[in-house]
Amino acid sequence: MAVLQLRSPLTPEERQQRQKLILRDTIALLSLFAIVLLLFFITLFLFHSFSVHRQELAYRWRGRGEKALRANQPLVAIDALRSALAYAPDDETLQIELAEALGAAGRTQEAVAYFNTLLESRPGNGLINLQLARLAAKQGDEAKALEYYQAALDGTWNGDGYVRRREVRLELAQYLISRKRYDQARNQLLITAGNAPDDVNIELQVAGLLESAQDPANALHLYQKALQHKPVQLAALEGASRTAYALNHYLQAKTYLERTLNHPDFEKQPADVQARFRDMLSDSDHILLLYPGPELSIRDRAERILNNRKIAQQRLAACLSSKTTIPPALQALANQWQQLPKTLRLLQLEQNPELEQQIMQLVYQTEQVTSQLCGAPTGDDALLLKIAQAPEAVEQQ
Amino acid sequence: MSVQPMQETEAKQSVKKPVKRPKNEFSQLEIEKIAPTRDERLFLVLSIFIGVLSGLLVVCFRVAIEWIKILTLGSAPHAGQYRLLIVPALAGLFVAALAQLFFPGVRGSGVNQTKAALYIYNGYISFKTVIGKFVTSALAIGGGHSLGPEDPALQIGAGVASMVARRLNLSKQRLRLFAPIGAAAGLAAAFNAPISAILFVIEEVIGQWSAAVLGSIVLAAISSVVVARQFWGAEPIFRIPTVTLRDPRELIAYAVLGVVGGFAALVFSKALGYLRPRLRALPTWTQYCQPGVAGLLVGLIGFIGFPQVMGPGYEVIDQAMHGQFAWKLLLALALLKILATTLSFSSGTPGGMFAPTLFIGAMLGASVGSFEKLFFPHLAGTVGAYALVGIGVLFAGFLRAPLTSVFMVLEVSGNYSIILPVILANMIAYLLSRGLQPVPIFEVFTHQDGLDLPSMEEVREESELHLEDALRPVDVPVIKGQQTLGEATKIVSAAHAPACLISLWDGSWYALSDEELTSASATTNTDTPIERILPSERAPILFPDMPLDSALHFFPRWPVLPIMNRASKGKLEGVITQDDVLHRYQEH
Repeated sequence: MAVLQLRSPLTPEERQQRQKLILRDTIALLSLFAIVLLLFFITLFLFHSFSVHRQELAYRWRGRGEKALRANQPLVAIDALRSALAYAPDDETLQIELAEALGAAGRTQEAVAYFNTLLESRPGNGLINLQLARLAAKQGDEAKALEYYQAALDGTWNGDGYVRRREVRLELAQYLISRKRYDQARNQLLITAGNAPDDVNIELQVAGLLESAQDPANALHLYQKALQHKPVQLAALEGASRTAYALNHYLQAKTYLERTLNHPDFEKQPADVQARFRDMLSDSDHILLLYPGPELSIRDRAERILNNRKIAQQRLAACLSSKTTIPPALQALANQWQQLPKTLRLLQLEQNPELEQQIMQLVYQTEQVTSQLCGAPTGDDALLLKIAQAPEAVEQQ
Repeated sequence: MSVQPMQETEAKQSVKKPVKRPKNEFSQLEIEKIAPTRDERLFLVLSIFIGVLSGLLVVCFRVAIEWIKILTLGSAPHAGQYRLLIVPALAGLFVAALAQLFFPGVRGSGVNQTKAALYIYNGYISFKTVIGKFVTSALAIGGGHSLGPEDPALQIGAGVASMVARRLNLSKQRLRLFAPIGAAAGLAAAFNAPISAILFVIEEVIGQWSAAVLGSIVLAAISSVVVARQFWGAEPIFRIPTVTLRDPRELIAYAVLGVVGGFAALVFSKALGYLRPRLRALPTWTQYCQPGVAGLLVGLIGFIGFPQVMGPGYEVIDQAMHGQFAWKLLLALALLKILATTLSFSSGTPGGMFAPTLFIGAMLGASVGSFEKLFFPHLAGTVGAYALVGIGVLFAGFLRAPLTSVFMVLEVSGNYSIILPVILANMIAYLLSRGLQPVPIFEVFTHQDGLDLPSMEEVREESELHLEDALRPVDVPVIKGQQTLGEATKIVSAAHAPACLISLWDGSWYALSDEELTSASATTNTDTPIERILPSERAPILFPDMPLDSALHFFPRWPVLPIMNRASKGKLEGVITQDDVLHRYQEH
């Protein structure tokens, strides 16, 4: 681009030369522009085809990685997901999947480092906090695990936050149960149960965990809730039976156990499970036959008390005879029995409710003391011992 | 970074070319006469064209590397694949044959070739070299050699600039300046960081800030980055995680990183300085197979379990920055990368050291960060921050470009909160490296190539002398213009001075020599005021901060020069003579 100098003292020949120079520069710049344009389109074409190929590669490697992850082949998954990330470095799901694969492959340190870095860029991400909680749990760092679980509960989730938080809470409860921190687990489960929709599967899951957290009462409540759904699920019946039985609600347990055994799917259960439920029903029946409940007629109750008295005294006698030196607790028990009339008639008992209560009290005491000093009881003694744990609950509904 | 072949071929061309001028071309003298401002105006327009062209070419170059990598090494190279052994070896053999038979000027990185073009060949880089550099570097890097694309991109940019400037028949002086402009454009597009590219070219190619070329360098670099970002996006070549300085105690860890980086830079420099001349000294026929053998060895490193060291390794830098590796693996990768790059580069395979330097720095930084995170979790910031600082550390320690190293980290991170760790770690690494290896690596290569290019480190630190350095107190008589000739004669003869200074009514000065005074006394009445006998010419106005050489051309006319005070007009700061100036230069 030669520069025009309008009033330059140039000769005509020089002016002509200058015009030639301008023309030449203009042509040179135009050809340069044309080259730029041509190169731009070539570059655009190359880059576009390259980008498309990169996307294809990212998709292909992601598929392989996820497949390997599902097939529990974390090492293969790591390679594949790393390759996918090389072509789609900003894909958040891929990053998390890779870290998961690292953790699954036992490369916990790498996985933790990776998740920590991800967390730094997305500190409130629920999924990353959850993965870190799992890794901390795996490493046995309970405090860190609980901290991350809590952060995951408080964190952000994409779209399905409500459901994912409930899942995290259930996972946290499971972890707490595994650490024998039943109170905390119970709290989490009760929160979950309180917020959960009226869904039988969720109720069954929470109830099962409550059972594991040694809270059969709340578990029974949830099983009962689950039983309101039609068709009645066998798992709900089994759970209700189990928990009612564990709570010594034998009358209630009997009802549930009978329903369980009559459920069409019960026969599909493994034999040992079936046997266990049948035993429970048999025990419940026997307990209800032994228990002198208030709804019985005066005579029937007196008969049961006399029978229980006989069973307890036989157990005490057997226990005493097995000992060379009699322990003081056993001696005190024997003394208490001796203070009662040796022979009792039904009429005496029918007319004296206080004596009835005193005898049953001594029966329960005898079964408890002898079970501690002379080994686990069997037969009716065992059943009486069960009643002794919570006599008032036997017929509770 | 061999310049020897270029010397033999291009030097001849560069000498012959200007002589063989087509008939319709204008000579520089003609152009200067008919369009004196043409070059100056074209300079800025062409800078933009050069930037755009370089940007497009570098995008193509990077795409070519990636395509070659995918086609030859596969989309996900991993340990145990036999192609990791075969491909780099074959690529090396093919590239060596091309370099030996067709493109003798393409060996090495490109930085020293660009410097040689600037200082020796009047900015001349041939079209053949640009094409050769593009093809051979893409093949070598894409084929798995442990080299980077930035330095070749720098040379490609410089070559484009040289071609454009030649096509427009610019003056030799302008032609020479276009090489660094194109270099900045090429590097900026390759690294997607214009400020770092500009600073690197100033630090490593030009050696000093030059206002004449800075504007054009900036224009070209920005144009090329704008073009590159149209394709790659605004993100740097690797994703930068959140970087912060959490705890001031972390600075201790950054200082440790500086020390580690300084020693790593030393090991890297020593390894290259040792192996490269030995391989070059082998018989010429071995140069056909050296890159192949180097490729085989680099491939072996990948084959046995570390494919990450192959190629430029940007995705590995990205992974390290995002905490995907444990510290032991990171350390192993850093050491193996030093080995692999030493092998690839020393064998004469075309490709740059910019990316390997970033790689090693990132691995070392991430390693230190991960170690700290593991053992001192309450103190550690993000692993990414350490990796980023590590990059700067190696840059300062190995490439010895301290200013670029700091600004590069700030530019790619876009976060100034990390400036303190960066400066601390880089300074430690730079000083350590400089103390243990006085000659910078680029200078080592130029010496090995038998060239004597200016040392950029020395140029940067060269202190310019000023008039104040040669200034002495006013020891010649100072006479007022109104005083008579007789009085002046008396004063001068009493002082036995060779000259005197005449202070005139308008604040200007005249330095009157003894001879002039004697001559005036002989022809003029002694009662005449001295200002009347003086010619209209006045002593030049000089100030103490002006360059010392600015006074030299006045001495044939003036026996002594008054140096003025900038704050109060007419007040003398001192005087200087030619002897003072020469004496000062001799002392320097």
